[in-house]
Amino acid sequence: MTHSSSDHHLKLQWEKDVEKTTQRFPERKESFHTSSEIPIDRLYSPEQISQNYIANIGFPGQYPYTRGIQPTMYRSRYWTMRQYAGFGSAEETNERFRYLLKQGQTGLSVAFDLPTQIGYDSDDPMADGEVGKVGVAIDSLKDMEQLFNEIPLDQVSTSMTINAPASILLAMYIAVGEKQGVSPQKLTGTIQNDILKEYIARGTYIYPPKPSMRLITDIFGYCQENLPKFNTISISGYHIREAGSTAVQEVAFTIANGMAYVDAAIEAGLKVDQFAPRLAFFFNAHNQFFEEAAKFRAARRMWAKIMKEHYGAENPKSWKLRFHTQTGGSTLTAQQPDNNIVRVTLQALAAVMGGTQSLHTNSRDEALALPTEESARIALRTQQIIANESGVADTIDPLAGSYYVESLTDQIEQEAQAYLDRIKEFGGAVQAVEEGYMQREIHKSAYDAQKRIESREDIVVGMNEFQLDEEIHADLLRVDEALEQSQIQKTQRVRDERDQAAVEQCLDNLRTAAKGTDNVMPHIVEAVKVYATVGEIANVLREEFGEYTGM
Amino acid sequence: MKPIRVLIAKPGLDGHDRGALIIAQALRDHGMEVIYTGLRQSAVQIARAAIQEDVDVVGLSSLSGAHKSLFPKVVEALADQGASDIPVIGGGVIPAEDIPYLEEKGVQKIFTSGSPTDAIAIYIKQLIDQETIESPNKIAHIGIAVESIDAVLPFYQHTLGLELAAVEEVQSEQVRVAFLRIGETMFELLEPLSDESSIQTFLTKKGEGIHHIALEVEGIEKRLKQYKEQGIRLINEEPKPGAHNSQIAFIHPKASNGVLFELCEHGKED
Repeated sequence: MTHSSSDHHLKLQWEKDVEKTTQRFPERKESFHTSSEIPIDRLYSPEQISQNYIANIGFPGQYPYTRGIQPTMYRSRYWTMRQYAGFGSAEETNERFRYLLKQGQTGLSVAFDLPTQIGYDSDDPMADGEVGKVGVAIDSLKDMEQLFNEIPLDQVSTSMTINAPASILLAMYIAVGEKQGVSPQKLTGTIQNDILKEYIARGTYIYPPKPSMRLITDIFGYCQENLPKFNTISISGYHIREAGSTAVQEVAFTIANGMAYVDAAIEAGLKVDQFAPRLAFFFNAHNQFFEEAAKFRAARRMWAKIMKEHYGAENPKSWKLRFHTQTGGSTLTAQQPDNNIVRVTLQALAAVMGGTQSLHTNSRDEALALPTEESARIALRTQQIIANESGVADTIDPLAGSYYVESLTDQIEQEAQAYLDRIKEFGGAVQAVEEGYMQREIHKSAYDAQKRIESREDIVVGMNEFQLDEEIHADLLRVDEALEQSQIQKTQRVRDERDQAAVEQCLDNLRTAAKGTDNVMPHIVEAVKVYATVGEIANVLREEFGEYTGM
Repeated sequence: MKPIRVLIAKPGLDGHDRGALIIAQALRDHGMEVIYTGLRQSAVQIARAAIQEDVDVVGLSSLSGAHKSLFPKVVEALADQGASDIPVIGGGVIPAEDIPYLEEKGVQKIFTSGSPTDAIAIYIKQLIDQETIESPNKIAHIGIAVESIDAVLPFYQHTLGLELAAVEEVQSEQVRVAFLRIGETMFELLEPLSDESSIQTFLTKKGEGIHHIALEVEGIEKRLKQYKEQGIRLINEEPKPGAHNSQIAFIHPKASNGVLFELCEHGKED
């Protein structure tokens, strides 16, 4: 782009004006930075953005997908509004699911309790106090049948936040489908199944990295043949960000993990274009609006280039980074919880500006407890207002061409690439995780962020500034403490009534497969169908694979 | 002095350890020795680690809603192993209405979301070093703002029958004071000497009446330092000389819901 001398003159004039003004009215800060410490200029102009429009930005639905993965984006269909829900018993959660569907939600997202996520039955001593607390308790197929009671699985897509025991819960989902008369080919949805970020940030690991990676590639292989419409993994930056990373680290570590899964699948003998189209991603939508929107655009461009150029994928579906977004839980404050509605709105808007495929908006009371029905409804309404009233979904990628946003997109890509190079030096994400590299980087960022809040360099409205003398206590959702006992009794009844010999046979077959190299997935499907429990199946694999005990 | 040793522990299955790690780091920055247990510790494991590591305090973190069941179990496990003298504090996602229950079960203190790490460090220091705040000795005097000492003295001397102990001018405060003894304490009548006097401001705003209550304390400097660390708002962060060879400082009335308190320490009388 050329500039005439009169343009140049105008710019010099502006710079002079700035100098004069700042002498009388100094700027609020000496320097401005994004959450990722990217310096923010006073003004962005055409010379700061890359010149090659087609190569770097291009058109939606075309490589490198900076502007979005579909040619029409939200002009055809809004993003999927998918609220993560689950608490207490399968019956209670089923009720909340049906409520949300009736309110216009378009996909389900299951939150499991911690014992389920770590492969313990509700009557295991390790589950003490945790049953039904952060999600629904699932022990056997019986619970799963109740969870999806009267919800036809060929008409909803279901996302399951399940990682270490992902194969068990997926097997149960397949079994429920069959009981409803829905064949596995027709099932749609996503399992999170991203174990690397569990070691890095989220903590619900069971087995050591190597056998865990095998379980994941077994799922890839099984689904490619049997569940062609199911997303086999949701490679998650969300929890990395929640643990305290910056936006750049979130992109970098997520893509590094993604590459580790691709490498593992190729090593297991799969062809990249067979499984890559079923890989999905999951990102956080945090506070800084432009940085977040740019982050999503940068991530899409990076993944497209990596899949095409590094892995030589030929199917355009393998190049597309499809992602779910959740607004940032750790940005919510326990103080003045209604303020969180506003935070969530801005974060959700950034996700939409970034071209997300689906979105969960957090509820205002989640810094205090699981959301009440009223809070969950406001959160869903927030998305519906953005979609139906704001007009932001009526054109594609409206921030494109913003000198600032394009410049940020380029910078996030560059800095994330620098992290990827560093992780490559470790020998890849698995090794970097084992050596605690990403964990340390995240902790550093988290501690810096905390210090900025305590020194009030960063203002959190209602928490370290604009406080109320007296907080108003909202009504919170309480999980019934008696639930644990009734869940334990229910599971014991299932054990009494099932065909014990069949269960033992299935578990034996699974053990044999785990010892060898057979795909374990078909054996797990058989085991859940005869009502073997999550804990029993996970324990067979514990005995064969060992347990990861942390750093 | 031996550094304070702290065990930071994650009971139960919760994997959120951002808060636990940040607090561990912040306490280290405050000079404490911190041991972090890692995830998924049972109550018995935590109690055992606390005893083996000979810690002064145990800090628990839970964000999964299991605190009501798990925190008291740690207190019990410590007692079972004969270590009930190790105090337990906690934090995480804990609704305010659960706090009384946890305290009743022997948890010393709960820090909820948004608590500054400095406040936690100071609390631990006070808990361990027994740096508790001592009760003031007595009410040193009650300060009463008046337009004119001469005009009100007859009421105090003749109607109430009090004895006038002293009349002084404190130039730095632009105030004339009269002390009237009553038992172990005094009334202090305050008359402004000029418009700059804070007593004049008080009179203009509120009229004559009770102005402040002065408390006799020991170790005024240390007390002010403690208040400062706790973020109590003060008018005077350092003691300044007051009448009768005393050191005084005022606490900001915002900190005490509208009552102006003066701290004063009198030098030893010869």
